[in-house]
Amino acid sequence: MAFLEIRNLDAFYGRARSLHGVTLDVEAGRIAAIIGPNGAGKSTLLDSILGLVRTTGEIRLDGVSLTGRSATEIVRLGVGYAPERGHLFPFMGVRDNLLVGAHTAPRDAERNLRRVFDLFPVLEERQNQETGTQSGGERQMVSLGRALMSSPRLLVVDEPTIGLAPRVCHDIAAALRRMNEELGITILITEQNVNFATHLARDVLVLETGEIRLRGTADELMNNPHVREAYFGH
Amino acid sequence: MPLARPLLGWLAFAVVMCLVPVFVSTGTVRILVFANFLAIFAMSWDVISGRTGYISFGHPFLIGIAGYTTAMLTYHLDTPLWLSIPAGVFATLVGGTLFLLPALRIRGTYFALVTLAFMELMYQLTQVIAPKVTGGTRGLSGIPTIVSGAIPNYYLTFGLVFAIGLGLWFVLRTRIGAALAALRMDEGAVAASGLSTIRLKLFAFMTSAAVAGIGGAFYVHYLGSIAPRGLFDINFLFTILVAALLGGSSTVAGPILGAYFLTFLLEYLRPYLPGPERYVIYGMIALVVYVLEPRGLHAILRTGARRLAPLLARRRIAP
Repeated sequence: MAFLEIRNLDAFYGRARSLHGVTLDVEAGRIAAIIGPNGAGKSTLLDSILGLVRTTGEIRLDGVSLTGRSATEIVRLGVGYAPERGHLFPFMGVRDNLLVGAHTAPRDAERNLRRVFDLFPVLEERQNQETGTQSGGERQMVSLGRALMSSPRLLVVDEPTIGLAPRVCHDIAAALRRMNEELGITILITEQNVNFATHLARDVLVLETGEIRLRGTADELMNNPHVREAYFGH
Repeated sequence: MPLARPLLGWLAFAVVMCLVPVFVSTGTVRILVFANFLAIFAMSWDVISGRTGYISFGHPFLIGIAGYTTAMLTYHLDTPLWLSIPAGVFATLVGGTLFLLPALRIRGTYFALVTLAFMELMYQLTQVIAPKVTGGTRGLSGIPTIVSGAIPNYYLTFGLVFAIGLGLWFVLRTRIGAALAALRMDEGAVAASGLSTIRLKLFAFMTSAAVAGIGGAFYVHYLGSIAPRGLFDINFLFTILVAALLGGSSTVAGPILGAYFLTFLLEYLRPYLPGPERYVIYGMIALVVYVLEPRGLHAILRTGARRLAPLLARRRIAP
């Protein structure tokens, strides 16, 4: 039994169906990546895991069904979410942003805060700075940190490298690896940056027009002609 | 944040305000009573609109529910005040739940317009539905007062301002306050962080309604009368709004400060501009303050104090 199991998942915005029978597994302790172009349904898939959109099908975390549960319950069950472009609270300081993420795990707040500052020392130095005045890279760190504050067992991260310089992408990848290896957190990311995704993740899935088109290890997909043609142009 | 300094500030505020009647005329004390009521209404408005970003244009609806409930109970049924006032506040909580319903689906301009409709609806209903009970267009008069005289009413209303202000300050400096502020900035991110946005909104709306209800009930028993034209009035609504925004939204001290400033401004303009043109002047002053410092008078005073502190310290050190 996989740690995260998704079976025949359809997701809807009103009457429009944006995911079509998505089925995937993420093993415990692994990093998995979903790659795909704009509009493929990557963010919708992560929103579905969090119960933020209407879905049919089945989503299970460590054997426990997430279907029909509220986002609050799902976060309490161990899913942390770092949405695309962070979605931070711009007029609040770094520390306050992080503490909003601690509402579902208040007892672990101090320990988790130390973990976040250990992963991203720059955030400790700037903990009173309003996040609206921070760089894109720092905001992404706060977003990951806020997700970590809920003591997640599964971390879902939506396009963590969007708009970031290669150097910062490297730091973000290093932090995600540490979360996975040192804290034992299973990670599912979505990405358009195929190089980043295949370097970070062991298992990669290709999502296009709401359907999983390909799946395999990072090496397998990097050698797949369709992926090479679609994402590298050769 | 350390507690001692802000608590000292609250204590100093209480001491100064308790001494005010000793030094000012009875007329000024009467003006201060109105300022105290405006402060309560502005604090109530700020809990919904300043904290969560749901702009309410229907606050007189909440105030009116409490006012009419306690007025009708005491006028028609001779209900004692200790029972009618809590009944009024309870009725406002029910009204606050009605406010919450549109907030579950809409926000921004649409929410503001729906709440404005609540106020208009209440204005019409009080005149049309059972006018014998509500007093119709003329309202009800001869409602019992709690205390009589300017000074007792001043201490009563200031006591309410102080208790509500301190209570809100304690609650809003907790994690709930931070979550409400986050709700204003990005509701989706709050939900994605695992917080129940419905519960947060319910908390904000109920708190705001309770404060509006307390203010509305005591206001009616201060005036001794209630009429739809005075209560469900767009000028009354905008006075509440401007007091909160001018003083400093998303703070507790700001709406109090704005209420005192605005009440005195309107009263001191009265001899020169007895008509509604006063509102043009106060609107202009509000605009200037808002352009200079969008965070309001509260922020202006804080910045001033911060700049003044080193200068005073230097003078103290100098021989």
